[in-house]
Amino acid sequence: MSATAVCHAVQLGDWRQLLAVIWDFLSLSLFSLGGGNTLLTEYHRMAVDQYCWLSSRQFADIYAIAEAAPGPSSMIVGLLGMGAAVKEGPLWGLFSGLMAEIAILLPSTLLMVAAALSWNRTLNSPGRVAFERGLGPVTLGILFAVGLKILRISDHDTPAYAVSLVVCVLMLRTKISPLWFMAVAGLMGALGLVNR
Amino acid sequence: MADGAAQPTHWQLFIGMQQVALSSFGGGLSAWSERIVVEQRQWMTKEEFITGLTVARLFPGPNQINMAVYIGSRFRGLTGAIAALFGMLLLPFSLLMLLGLGYFYLHEILAVDRVLAGVITASAGMALSMGFKIAGAYSRDPVAMLLAGASFLAMTVFHVRLVPLVLVAGPLAMAWYWPRGEQR
Repeated sequence: MSATAVCHAVQLGDWRQLLAVIWDFLSLSLFSLGGGNTLLTEYHRMAVDQYCWLSSRQFADIYAIAEAAPGPSSMIVGLLGMGAAVKEGPLWGLFSGLMAEIAILLPSTLLMVAAALSWNRTLNSPGRVAFERGLGPVTLGILFAVGLKILRISDHDTPAYAVSLVVCVLMLRTKISPLWFMAVAGLMGALGLVNR
Repeated sequence: MADGAAQPTHWQLFIGMQQVALSSFGGGLSAWSERIVVEQRQWMTKEEFITGLTVARLFPGPNQINMAVYIGSRFRGLTGAIAALFGMLLLPFSLLMLLGLGYFYLHEILAVDRVLAGVITASAGMALSMGFKIAGAYSRDPVAMLLAGASFLAMTVFHVRLVPLVLVAGPLAMAWYWPRGEQR
């Protein structure tokens, strides 16, 4: 990738840069529609294009790890934060991962607390109806854009696209656990049937 | 709140959410959350739980994390939310951080890289399925499909960033779908 020549990786030792990164996650938090997956293209832009923490290829790996691991897949932010600082040592990686995760969760959590304590007013207002009906289709469009982006950074040849399409169809038509798809695809990778 | 059940303490919120997180290793977070909160511990009735889930999905943030925050704050306010959040995230996040360290130190090993090259094709398929999963709810509404199509094109073709897109398309869509008396 030639992009690595263009931008310089942010060093955690530079506190102004660290604060800028934390601010970026804080300000994205409230734009996480539909459960957080809508933010993935922004994460990619930040981590790969803007701050150069990761290559596009590493981003695809990290997305897969966050999906495969137990717990909410939105914890990918912790891995992005780790990627930003892990070159400076494992402890910096852990610290940076934790900071990134706290930053992305803090604003939405505070808003959620406020909502939980006043929920009946929230639920019956016309604004809530309009919000749900209106933002739903926007979320749909964003999710398709996110899906296409992940597809583009993950797959580079016909066999890879074929596996992705089959998995996509099986995800929609069956209730098989996604872990099986990842296990089978991982085996195919090990055997050299799919490549980068 | 559910009859006959005492309000959970901070510690019980922490332990209960940790139980949800542990049970759901392998998937089905939402189902486990309901089973434990409603059936086993009887902190909420099923109706209260569903109301909470509606709020959790409506507001920004990951749905299951929002649900933990909702449950915690309903019983013990802000500190209860933090206790529930810690219970939900402590173990999965620690595990993910370990996996992450493993990845960053080992991914240049050829065998690891080849396995990952396969795994990412599956996760890309999963990512692609996200949109299709909810598309059915909107396919009969031409305005919704127009909005979705415009948002998709704005991001993929015109490289509009997420925040400005939501700030422009959001209010327009809300204005169109604002309830207008008996007509809707």
